[in-house]
Amino acid sequence: MDDRLARRGGHQRTVVGIVATLASLGAVLAVLLPFRTSLSTAIPALVFVLPAVIGVVIGGFWVGVVGAAAGFLAYDFFFLPPYDALTVRSGQNWVAVAVYIAVVLIVARVVAQLRSAREEAVRRNEESDRLYELSQALIGDLALPQLLGHIVTIVQDVFEPRWTALVLPQGEHDEPVPGESLEVAARAGRAMSDADVASLTSAQGETRSIGLVADGGDRKPRKVSVALVVNERPVGMLVLEDVVLAGTDRSLLGTFANQAALAVDRARLREEALRARLLEEIDRWRRALMGAASHDLRTPLAAVKTAVSSLRQAGTRLSEEDRAELLELIEQQSDRLARLVTNLLDMTRIESGALEIRPTAMPFDELVEEAVGNLGGIVGPERVRVEAPDDLPMLRIDHVLVSQVLANLLDNAERVSPNGSMIRVTARVAPGSADRIEIAVADEGPGIPHEDRDRVFEMFSQNGRGGGAGLGLAIAKAFVEAHGGLIWVDPDVVIGARVVFTVPADARVAASA
Amino acid sequence: MPKVLLVDDDASLLKALRIGLTARGDEVITAYTGAEAVNQVALAAPDLVILDLGLPDIDGIEVCRRIRAFSGVPIVVLSAYGDERRKVEALDSGADDFVTKPFGMAELEARLRVALRHAASRRAEGSEPSPELDVGRLHVDLVHHMAALDGEPLPLTAKEFELLAYLARHAGKVCTHHMILKDVWGPGYGIESNYVRVYTHRLRKKLGDDNGTMLKTVPGIGYQLVGEGNPSAHSTTKR
Repeated sequence: MDDRLARRGGHQRTVVGIVATLASLGAVLAVLLPFRTSLSTAIPALVFVLPAVIGVVIGGFWVGVVGAAAGFLAYDFFFLPPYDALTVRSGQNWVAVAVYIAVVLIVARVVAQLRSAREEAVRRNEESDRLYELSQALIGDLALPQLLGHIVTIVQDVFEPRWTALVLPQGEHDEPVPGESLEVAARAGRAMSDADVASLTSAQGETRSIGLVADGGDRKPRKVSVALVVNERPVGMLVLEDVVLAGTDRSLLGTFANQAALAVDRARLREEALRARLLEEIDRWRRALMGAASHDLRTPLAAVKTAVSSLRQAGTRLSEEDRAELLELIEQQSDRLARLVTNLLDMTRIESGALEIRPTAMPFDELVEEAVGNLGGIVGPERVRVEAPDDLPMLRIDHVLVSQVLANLLDNAERVSPNGSMIRVTARVAPGSADRIEIAVADEGPGIPHEDRDRVFEMFSQNGRGGGAGLGLAIAKAFVEAHGGLIWVDPDVVIGARVVFTVPADARVAASA
Repeated sequence: MPKVLLVDDDASLLKALRIGLTARGDEVITAYTGAEAVNQVALAAPDLVILDLGLPDIDGIEVCRRIRAFSGVPIVVLSAYGDERRKVEALDSGADDFVTKPFGMAELEARLRVALRHAASRRAEGSEPSPELDVGRLHVDLVHHMAALDGEPLPLTAKEFELLAYLARHAGKVCTHHMILKDVWGPGYGIESNYVRVYTHRLRKKLGDDNGTMLKTVPGIGYQLVGEGNPSAHSTTKR
């Protein structure tokens, strides 16, 4: 709690205590005065203890002293003969006055002690409550930046300095090393001036001594720094500007600093573990990419090399027809290599999150044409049989991305298809949702084993479809999903494989119109 | 005109190989899957199988095993670069040799020649184990435990002779360290490939074959005894 507030409260209580003492004294006086001649001098002495005690209870010991003095004056003036004069005549009456003052002072002392003991207990209770709250706030698994923010906010709320700052060593080190630069990692309260910030940060190589919570004893606001220490090694520093700390506040701040240090250390370790896991994941991904890319590159390369060396080796023994076929194959496989490079670039685009969709209305036929064109001769138009109803709505797609999807599927289909077999590309309005078009590519190859049907779309799965499908299908999946569509392997086909995906239909324009 | 069975699921490579081999004068039949390959070996009885290890249905190594269960047809495996473990597995499962993709037709043809020639000599000797073997300039007499090079007897220790005899029996085939250890040293020796290294080194010294043209090292895989020098030897494989 704020000390200034406590003092203000104390002042108020003193005034209230004095007022209450004087008021009760007046009341008692008013009641007793008519009977003063018939009363023994001991009676008012006893009764006048009451206002003084009331004063002590409300305002503390010194109010009691004031009450005692006022009681003595009133007693002497009104009730000790000669009346209405501050003169004490008989020795007997002197005894009464002395006893009165002694009783009031003793009672005031005892009551004041009881009161302060009770206040202390209440404050202790409050403190442990607050500490518990603080610790609770630090227990949750907060990320480091949130945790730091949390710590300074709590400190700011509880101790009310001008500002609170948390200083941490810069960089990735687990613990500060001598000469390492410091930075203000979190702050709360009123704005810090540039000079404030500069006073807390230090460049590489500079050393900075950390001030400790000194027991100044005075109540002047000042800057307080607390080191956050875990296992005797500093992890950071809390700085409170213009704060007044009473004795118990200091120990509270110290305890909280320990809690905060542990929490910071824990958060840091957790973050390190996370980073390690992330790196591992990236590494695994990178190895998979390398494996898939090298496989995908090697397959067309092997065909090109074999074809070229056949041309050189067999030379004149080749028929004109065979020669043409080999040359065509070389061209086709070079195109495939070029497409792989495109796919790898797409891959990087997807991974970096730079994928942007620009949907336009497009008829299905044009999409197929574009996809076959993308393939640059890998799949001749004569190999593709397109089937779609005449009243098929237009597609609402980013034609660059979706033609890539279709091209990848056609490429895969061609690779596994027996020579000269047809690849069927069909489209229809998706059953059950009129705003979607379902496009399917079916081949007559060996098909996809049942257990691989979900796995083929995973990044770089080395599956049965010549392995190279990994990259192509993963990209297809990413592009289709970017359109809010789905892609799957038809489980019901008997011969070959049939890959199906959905894209949005254009609601406004019908293709037949 | 040898009949070659080509097994690969990549239609382009299959096509290029088919044209190349046909131009060489081979009769070529093709298969896309492992199951088809096994059937073709049984039905068409090819003289040679060129087998890609990555097939859509059955693993290439399993295909080797299944073919070996009923046929001694030489198998040359096509494998990816860097896949030494798979190559060894394939050889242990009965493949005779391997070619790493991408390859030139000259290299492939050389391998096919070696495989076909040794298969032919094995066939000529019949299924009965022959008491005498001839591999190029080398003569091995299994009955009298004697070996000669160009008619000159070779002074071999018992183990050296056993190793040479084993390699001669499998002439043309790439023998893995594991196969050699198991069959020459016995089933207790599975991994001590330095034995094989030491003995092949001694054998080469005695054969006067210091650069390994006759007893070739197949790096990371094993050894291969060939009749005569082969222009595109495994030992020239570079990183």
